[in-house]
Amino acid sequence: MGMMEKLNELATSGAREYLTFRLDQEEYGIDILKVQEIRGYEPPTRVANAPSFIKGVVNLRGTIVPIVDMRLKFNCSKSEYNSFTVVIVLNLRNRIVGIVVDSVSDVMELPPESLKTAPDIESVIDSSAVLGLGSVGERMLILLDIEKLMSAPEMGLVSAAD
Amino acid sequence: MAETHQEGGSGGDFDLSQFYQIFFEEAGENLDQMEQMLLNLNLETADDEELNGIFRCAHSVKGGAATFGFADVAELTHQMESLLDRLRRHELQPNASMVDVLLESADASRSLLARHQAGDEGEALPTGDLVKRISVLAAGGVLEAPKAAAPTPTAPTVSKPEVQQPQSASPKGARRLEIVIGPLEKPEQADAIQELFRDIPGLGSITPGASAQSSLKVFHAETSSTDDELLDLFAFHVSRDRVKITTQSAPAASAPAKDEGFGFFEGAAGSPSQVQAPVVAQPATEAGFGFFDGAPGVPSASPESTAVVVAASHETASAVKAVAKPNPAIAAQPEAATIRVAISKVDQLINLVGELVITQAMLAQNSRALDPAVYQQLLTGLADLDRNTRDLQESVMSIRMIPMSIVFSRFPRMLRDLAGKLGKKVEFVTQGEATELDKGLVEKITDPLTHLVRNSCDHGIEMPAERLAAGKSESGTITLSASHQGGSIVIEVRDDGRGLSRTKILNKARERGLDVSDQMSDAEVWQLIFAPGFSTAAVVTDVSGRGVGMDVVKKNITALNGTVDIDSAEGYGMKVSVRLPLTLAIMDGMSVGVGEEVYILPLSSVIESFQVKADAVSTVGQGSQLVKVRDEYMPVIELEKVFQIPRFDFEKSSDIMVVVEADGSRVALLVDELLGQQQVVVKNLESNYRKVPNVSGATILGDGKVALILDTGALVRRSRH
Repeated sequence: MGMMEKLNELATSGAREYLTFRLDQEEYGIDILKVQEIRGYEPPTRVANAPSFIKGVVNLRGTIVPIVDMRLKFNCSKSEYNSFTVVIVLNLRNRIVGIVVDSVSDVMELPPESLKTAPDIESVIDSSAVLGLGSVGERMLILLDIEKLMSAPEMGLVSAAD
Repeated sequence: MAETHQEGGSGGDFDLSQFYQIFFEEAGENLDQMEQMLLNLNLETADDEELNGIFRCAHSVKGGAATFGFADVAELTHQMESLLDRLRRHELQPNASMVDVLLESADASRSLLARHQAGDEGEALPTGDLVKRISVLAAGGVLEAPKAAAPTPTAPTVSKPEVQQPQSASPKGARRLEIVIGPLEKPEQADAIQELFRDIPGLGSITPGASAQSSLKVFHAETSSTDDELLDLFAFHVSRDRVKITTQSAPAASAPAKDEGFGFFEGAAGSPSQVQAPVVAQPATEAGFGFFDGAPGVPSASPESTAVVVAASHETASAVKAVAKPNPAIAAQPEAATIRVAISKVDQLINLVGELVITQAMLAQNSRALDPAVYQQLLTGLADLDRNTRDLQESVMSIRMIPMSIVFSRFPRMLRDLAGKLGKKVEFVTQGEATELDKGLVEKITDPLTHLVRNSCDHGIEMPAERLAAGKSESGTITLSASHQGGSIVIEVRDDGRGLSRTKILNKARERGLDVSDQMSDAEVWQLIFAPGFSTAAVVTDVSGRGVGMDVVKKNITALNGTVDIDSAEGYGMKVSVRLPLTLAIMDGMSVGVGEEVYILPLSSVIESFQVKADAVSTVGQGSQLVKVRDEYMPVIELEKVFQIPRFDFEKSSDIMVVVEADGSRVALLVDELLGQQQVVVKNLESNYRKVPNVSGATILGDGKVALILDTGALVRRSRH
């Protein structure tokens, strides 16, 4: 999908609400409708042969949920686990996955016209998973297509057969 | 109800009555499903999937009916099946009259089943005409006049559901009233009283009338209630002083009966005894058709209303019931001793209880430090909580788990009848009946197993003479066994019959245009019999041979993430193994510690464990290790290496070996410590994550942490190369 189409898609659907979170110095936004809940971090059970950013699996009220540390995925300089570390539990097409972030900041509504196309730059994030950049005052928000990001094969969250 | 049922077929030595209810429910579901599919069927572009689906429904009902000895249902569905089979093979083009006849047959089957369910009382619905019409269609003929809506003349047309509102019919008195309400600020408010008439059975009927003033509402009502009673009722919505009731023309006592209950009561009067007879669904519906014609607000005769109508017919005359709105409460049948609940609800319950247990364990842990003298009451409460939680957990778990014997015990009778019909001698052996299986799985595995057992008896076991000629004992043996194996549940159907013929299957496959070659391995050839419509039986009997069985078997089992394997030797018999994953099954596990981590081993595969001495392990070739256990060398698998377990405490090391067996081979797993045995609920790791090598699932430990369950089968296979 081209960048313009993506913006058009956003534009036609009107203003959306985004949950914003911090990773190191950067601020990201994801579609609030994909968020199931937000919880504190608890040490997961390690799973062998998984990429380093998959911390393992936790028990979420009887469901086994994988935990992805976004800071490791995006090569942030440090990833500490303290009482402020937060897990955002996402529900993506009936699959549940938790992502670890430094902190959750806000829920904000962004009108489509405040979205800018992200320039094609070298980054650890697959550019097709970036919906665009949102500006809120002085702050820049990186809007992620979290579903696309999480279902990418290199995330190793789904079996190759799927 | 089932207990009073008279066996139609040969007097069985096995009590099947406990399964009647299940069969009736299943058959009802199948018929509903078939009806749905028939209604959605696009005649011009009907695809194979749809036709196969409809066919399978009929086939399943037939199979069940034959098993339970309901010959009339089996006969009718067999005819339906013949027609559907030709449609499925595209030998006939579906047309509207076929759909009509099939729908009618479905109704008839339902009514026949209802009669059996009610203990075979009353007159059976004659199906000869239907059967004839189906066979005409199946032979490619045309019916002169499809008469779907015409009631079968011989059918008992008396049914009680339409006995409505005895009060309104009683001479005591329905009165025709004009009710004027108002003036009201919001005249809509008054509309609520219409709902009263709808909701309260026996109150009567009401229709809105024209009002001259917009603030006034006028209704015309027919009721036997007094003005005071009505005013009391209306007081819920409008105040008494705003309601004016005036009696209109002479009471029309017979009016409702005339409008809605006509020909019906006539019939009833002629044969009062029939009123008590359980009424079959079909005539009830049809009677209803003619009967309700023109009556206002009558629900269309949908399947649901059919059900209600039938149900209501068992009620006594006091069952007051507004025709326009059948009261579902009346549908409560005495035999509804079980309720069918969505599996997802039970799962949710299990998950919640699991959480509760963990919370309770945490509370117990935290309260240990409290001074018993001071907090005596609190501690007593916590002790109660502990006990109750455990009981609750046990009960909730037991909802899902049932032993395989429930499934197995369906078969002896079925096989007996079947063998008798085919003139064969069959002995039936079951093993592992106590293996507990998740209810959801049991329900889904029953049909495939039925097909497999029938197939074994029909195709597998030879005629006694043939067996003797082949040097076998006169009677064949069919063995059904269940066991937990390598973390899966394996159910095997074995027979010592003639086995599969490779050449026959290949020929048949070529005939059907399947892509086959002589170079195919046996296993590949056996898999061919799972193709839709594939059957090597020479004659299509009502037992099997239409080739629907294996197709369904494969489909159902694959839907459960299971596999079906066939092993066969021509002349010696055949074995079908159904392997089901242990999703949702409860498993006895042994927890072992390696480093800081805990893993669960399926207890069923654990043979023994022992502390190992350094000199017992020898290295071979590329560094793989072997350990000698009582004159047997077995490969050693270091879990620490396989799972790349980080080690922080170098004081500790793995010096305990657990011998596990899978697929007939043994390996020794090297672990740090044995932590204990417990029952674990197996959770699927793949529902939110992916398959992890050497891991079959996950479970939640007492402290709420997740532990992975090792796939011993995979570990054993790993040691082989």
